[in-house]
Amino acid sequence: MLKILIPTFMLFPTIWLVPGKWLWTATTAHSLVVASASLSWFKWCSETGWVAPNLYLALDPLSFPLAVLACWLVPLMIIASQNHVAHEPLTRQRTYISLLVSLQVFLILAFSAMDILTFYVMFEATLIPTLIIITRWGSQTERLSAGTYFMFYTLLGSLPLLVALLYLLNDTGTLSMHTLQYIQMTNPDTLGTMLWWVACLLAFLVKMPLYGVHLWLPKAHVEAPVAGSMVLAAVLLKLGGYGMMRMMVVLGPLTKEMAYPFIILALWGIIMTGSICLRQTDLKSLIAYSSVSHMGLVASGILIQTPWGFTGAIILMVAHGLASSALFCLANTSYERTHSRTMLLTRGLQMILPLMAAWWFLANLANLALPPLPNLMGELMIIVSVFNWSSWTILLTGLGTLITASYSLHLFLTTQRGPTPQHFISMDPSHTREHLLMALHLIPLLLLVLKPELMWGWCF
Amino acid sequence: MTMFRGLYMTARVVHGIHVSSRFIHKHTRFFTLGLRNISTGRPVQNYFFKDLENQFKAFREKTAEAMPSSDWTPFEINRSLPPERADIVIVGGGVMGWSIAYWLKQKEKIREGVRVLVVERDPTYSQASTVLSAGGIRQQFSLPENIVLSIASADFMRNINKHLSVLNEDPVDLQFNHSGYLFLASENVAQIMEENYKTQRYVGAKVALLSPTQLKEKFPWINTDGIVLASYGLENEGWFDPWTLLNAFRRKAISMGVYQCFGEVTGFKYTTNSMNTAEGNKLDFQRIKYANVQMPNSLEYQPVECAIVVNAAGAFSGKVAEMMGIGLGLKDTIAGVPLPVEPRKRFVYVVHCPDGPGLETPFLIDYSGVYFRREGLGGNYIAGMSPEEEEPDTSNLEVDHQFFQEKVWPRLAHRVPAFENLKVKSAWAGFYDYNTFDQNGIVGNHPLVNNMFFATGFSGHGLQHSPAVGRAIAELILDGGFQTLDLSAFSFQRIITQEPMLEKNIV
Repeated sequence: MLKILIPTFMLFPTIWLVPGKWLWTATTAHSLVVASASLSWFKWCSETGWVAPNLYLALDPLSFPLAVLACWLVPLMIIASQNHVAHEPLTRQRTYISLLVSLQVFLILAFSAMDILTFYVMFEATLIPTLIIITRWGSQTERLSAGTYFMFYTLLGSLPLLVALLYLLNDTGTLSMHTLQYIQMTNPDTLGTMLWWVACLLAFLVKMPLYGVHLWLPKAHVEAPVAGSMVLAAVLLKLGGYGMMRMMVVLGPLTKEMAYPFIILALWGIIMTGSICLRQTDLKSLIAYSSVSHMGLVASGILIQTPWGFTGAIILMVAHGLASSALFCLANTSYERTHSRTMLLTRGLQMILPLMAAWWFLANLANLALPPLPNLMGELMIIVSVFNWSSWTILLTGLGTLITASYSLHLFLTTQRGPTPQHFISMDPSHTREHLLMALHLIPLLLLVLKPELMWGWCF
Repeated sequence: MTMFRGLYMTARVVHGIHVSSRFIHKHTRFFTLGLRNISTGRPVQNYFFKDLENQFKAFREKTAEAMPSSDWTPFEINRSLPPERADIVIVGGGVMGWSIAYWLKQKEKIREGVRVLVVERDPTYSQASTVLSAGGIRQQFSLPENIVLSIASADFMRNINKHLSVLNEDPVDLQFNHSGYLFLASENVAQIMEENYKTQRYVGAKVALLSPTQLKEKFPWINTDGIVLASYGLENEGWFDPWTLLNAFRRKAISMGVYQCFGEVTGFKYTTNSMNTAEGNKLDFQRIKYANVQMPNSLEYQPVECAIVVNAAGAFSGKVAEMMGIGLGLKDTIAGVPLPVEPRKRFVYVVHCPDGPGLETPFLIDYSGVYFRREGLGGNYIAGMSPEEEEPDTSNLEVDHQFFQEKVWPRLAHRVPAFENLKVKSAWAGFYDYNTFDQNGIVGNHPLVNNMFFATGFSGHGLQHSPAVGRAIAELILDGGFQTLDLSAFSFQRIITQEPMLEKNIV
């Protein structure tokens, strides 16, 4: 653990002391080294059940895929931001990369936290760099409203969570995940316990986001710069899922009844947000709503609490992280060239940038859960486990899959096919950096097809 | 006595409740005494609740203001600033600019598909060519493209309420007088008029050729001296109110969600791509990223991030094009070819002649260059003439009355004897967005500045073509190419290759 954490901390001196013309190269290289080192976490020793355990931090098969994803994403974010941040003063560039790296630190600590309160503090701590990135580097006046929505929706959920955790601490005397697995819930029938159950999960449901409390997500994604969107879509949403899975351990038998409305809301949300995607005019907004749709499936998978449900949820989280982040990078390549996110004006790009069209195709196929990609694996497992819980849900999940396919294809056909507008006469050809970025997103996704056991969690 | 009757009346009213009369009689006595309010002040109890109500109301209003969906922000935002980002910025809020804005919104298939911003420098339109125009529309051009544009625009204007009516607002009344245009030809231009007639008929305009005798029969007030042939437009020709058309486009466009900003575009921020051609020449492709819009009477400016800029600035389009460096390159390169649009001042004189030609008057254009049309129903006419030798000074919009006395009136009086005694009521001057190259519009994008589209240079026939050109530009931007009318003949290419499309019928 320390052999990843200390190099991550040392990224800060790298950022601030490296001379200006080596800044991007040095930080990219350093963070790539850290990311490759984090792959050592895949070596799972099944005796203790935990990887790299110490008193306070440890990883288990639930958290290390997500922690590796968090480490992997930082070099990708730095590569993606290089172009649009390069025109700013040097100190501002350093601050930007520092914010990204601080996010990585908080995320690794969050995923490996052994104490739920540590996890909570790190969960809250990730809000601050993200808020700074959205409000300072976003491009429009609406970013202030986006930051407000983002901040207060999450805080609305996490204050009850704090109270619930302190109550649990008071009740059981410990919040360490090692011991909490053995806790019995004392009186599951009272209103107080039911409220406590909701309080435990509300923060994570808002973060996922669940359909009813999802309004912050499209705003935050659209207004954030590309690195902000990438980290939001890829990792921060997964914090919600991970938190839910950890909390399920203590929430005991109450979940069987209490989860009912949230599962239905999540499934309904898949269809609703999928339909909203079909009517979107803004490219990033469409990708943001598709994130909500996929996360609805993850939420229902977690709330079902079966091994297949959990496994499907983890796989879908990791796969969606890579695919969604890839789509945001592609939207950014188009945005940097035309300065418009409107889908009507960035059409017919296949004629001009055919290689980028190939990446668009792959990323869209990943988004619509094409076999054999892990997106399909996760979706299928969740759909099957939810079907096992109630046969009627197949209507919702089946329709959801259909709508997902249609808006992914709509996205691809609108941006790539069709007549090329007149004002695209001379555009920058695709930079190698952009190709590298897309490759680094999609190659892990393709490799995961070959060895999905890495992501499966404890259940296989 | 009256007091007793009043008491009795009140008692009878109260008796309407189903209680025994005797009982209520006694009871009402006390009641009526209590109901008769002797004090003039209001009771204190009412005040308390009313105040509470008012306080709640104020609290609700205050929280409603601070809700996320409302406009209130803790930062003072200057509301007259344009948005920070717009997809398409249209420079120039004349009839051409608003027509393009309307058609862009008309063609987006999803609500809020594109964000359009129209930037207009002068909200009073004091120098805009649109509103100072004589407002005529004719199909009698020599180029088939111009004729087709006029026919399409006339069709739009005849069905204007189908296009530009807004729910719950008054319908649009363009005051389209279908009186037709009458061109008079002398010996040496009669041949051209006959060829034009053939072209116009071929394309579908309804025009008739008249001999001098026919002319005299139809319009007895004309002096047919020197006239060999006349061409009279039978349908879709006449004049209309340019202000109404401009406001109709604007109202409809704003109702569809177009943003309007009163400011001046003072510069652009762009990126440059240097490339080498096959022969090894260097070409600089530019892409506009931001348009700097400066607020009136202020140093404040807003860089508007945009994907496309449409130059519809009319007479001042040349200056806007220069901001991108069009025309400022080396002499024999594409970058050195300027946008050949400059303002040319033209005068319009309003005259009153009681014995004038009357209501049957078409828009008459003489071969000497003088023209006039009827204005209203009170014997007023609008007259003018294109200056032949010397162009008037374009630094202001002052009217030259000498010009009327020396040049216009003699020719008018020669053509229409009744005009010998007329009185000049008023006059104004306006700019043509004059295309010095070939006096025809420039429509399409510039080869080097990728995302700047032109819709300018119409040299006096822009207003009548505005609906059709607006649609063409919207098709060019949103569909990738012209769909209904092919205006590729009007592209900037002809200026670079120096192949003029000369229109022989310029007034």
